[in-house]
Amino acid sequence: MKQSTRREVLRASAWAGLGLVATGCAPKVSDYAQKPGRRVIVIGGGWGGASAAKYVRLADPSIEVVLLEPNQEFVSCPFSNLVLSGVRTIESLTFSYDGLRAHGVRVLHETATMIDADRKRVHVGRNALPYDRVIVSPGVEFQWDQVEGLAAAQDQVLHAWKAGPQTVELARQLQAMPDGGVFVLTIPPAAYRCPPGPYERTCQVAWYLKNNKPKSKLIVLDANPNIISKTALFRAAWANYPNIEYRGSNKVVKVDPGTREVTTELGDKVKYDVLNLIPPQRAGTIAVTADLVGADKRWCEVNHLTYESVKHKNVHVIGDSTIGLPVPKSGNVANAMGKISALAVVSLLNDKPVPTIAPGNTCYSWVSDREAIAVVNSYKIDGGKVVQIEQKLTPGQSEAWAQNAVGWANSIWADVLS
Amino acid sequence: MRLLLSLPIAALLVALAGPVAAGPLDMAGAPQAVVCSACHGFAGQSRSNAMPILAGIAPWYFKKAIQDYAAGKRTSPEMEPYAKMVLQSGVDDIAAYFAAQARTPSPVKLDPAAVERGRAAAAQCTVCHGAAGKGDPSKGVPDLTGQPPGYLRTQMLLFKADRRSPGDDQLKAVKALMRTIPDEQFSDLAAYWSSLR
Repeated sequence: MKQSTRREVLRASAWAGLGLVATGCAPKVSDYAQKPGRRVIVIGGGWGGASAAKYVRLADPSIEVVLLEPNQEFVSCPFSNLVLSGVRTIESLTFSYDGLRAHGVRVLHETATMIDADRKRVHVGRNALPYDRVIVSPGVEFQWDQVEGLAAAQDQVLHAWKAGPQTVELARQLQAMPDGGVFVLTIPPAAYRCPPGPYERTCQVAWYLKNNKPKSKLIVLDANPNIISKTALFRAAWANYPNIEYRGSNKVVKVDPGTREVTTELGDKVKYDVLNLIPPQRAGTIAVTADLVGADKRWCEVNHLTYESVKHKNVHVIGDSTIGLPVPKSGNVANAMGKISALAVVSLLNDKPVPTIAPGNTCYSWVSDREAIAVVNSYKIDGGKVVQIEQKLTPGQSEAWAQNAVGWANSIWADVLS
Repeated sequence: MRLLLSLPIAALLVALAGPVAAGPLDMAGAPQAVVCSACHGFAGQSRSNAMPILAGIAPWYFKKAIQDYAAGKRTSPEMEPYAKMVLQSGVDDIAAYFAAQARTPSPVKLDPAAVERGRAAAAQCTVCHGAAGKGDPSKGVPDLTGQPPGYLRTQMLLFKADRRSPGDDQLKAVKALMRTIPDEQFSDLAAYWSSLR
């Protein structure tokens, strides 16, 4: 890279200081090839990354924050199972990044392609953006190769596990399925994004079928031996849905869209009219290319106070891609990690002690069009590690918990984005 | 020439890089309170109907609520774990932080007719909460103003059913009063107290 002259650096500083880089027209990656002052780059604008970007700016507005997120809008995974049942629209779960821009976050709709941790640069195509610290919140990537036939059929076999067009398309397929048809939902082995999500989805699809296609059946093929979250509450909820056929320890290893059939590890073949195959998962691609994943090649180990990677200095990893903390891969945890990592990064950049903060987890699941259940986990820091204080479940399902779920969603969407 | 042009820019840079006034997260208790903001809003400014506003809350009331939730007297699967967390991470600092935040009243839209009906029925509440609804710390009576109506209504129903802090002597009078109020009136009362500033 060309060495900048002092004059160019000064000019860049002044522009950045006046906030003019982002006004008038959309900011470009090349605008950030120089670093006029202290800069934090956030990779990924989901629950973790968006929260981190906002809270760095709240904690210290003198730090420039550049957020790299390819999607133009934020679509909430929590509540997206309600799109399948027709209870919510995808539009009601879609939000602008303008709230972050109002906090002074430079939002670039680009994909980070590499992190050069030694030179402290994030590469976006041919551009290299210098940083003081980078917060990586890449979410999950699917392990297409774990299911035979899946890699070649990515466009036909829907996961709908990243809310967006696939969610809408799966809802359309469900609606178009003839009464008497078979909907097959497959659940990958833990760990994956949102442990209770597939079981909530089971409720929503079963509720829809019960009310709209009473002769239809929902077959759930779970790679895990049993429901892995809120087990008794989901079992109780499913008593209302005799159209569910749940098969534990049924890992799907092959899919054939031609014959509309999946094959389990045991060799059972299951025919479907509509298939929702949730593939096995690992940390988002940038975490792998940046050598942030551990020996398992799937997830990233971090310091529990700062979320700094155990493998690379000045690189922090948050959200679903982390491992080793006793927390679920949930939006609420990602939001908490985003805020805590932001405060840690700001403290480190200002040579101040890092505050001791543990995350929390509040997780609602809708079991019908109007009732919900919940699990709540609180944590503390003990010996430098996140340790659970307590887990509580709702004693049953109710409309009151569903109202709290709506309150939670409205609050946390604002906390993440506005 | 170059120097002259640079001077204002340099001055601006010095100004921008100068000491920054205490930010919104600089107060003791603020870093720990960011976990609360997922449900209660940044700085305790809840924007939802279900969760109470913590901004401007009296420290004595916040601490009593946390202690009651942690002890299971106020039953809430959501708040019990978090209350234990708050107790372990410094309840005094967190209480002081929320108390220091100026309360922005709930943005939940109120039905003007319900507010008026509530106003007509609210005299019974003012005996303890005062005509302005600001409460009386010396008697352990909290400020109701500007709280979300959904939260206020839920609490009145919990008092009536004796499901909030059963056996708490301080709450005997309010529970006795709630038992005299028909359920359908709670929405009106909640709307009225929410409307006060």
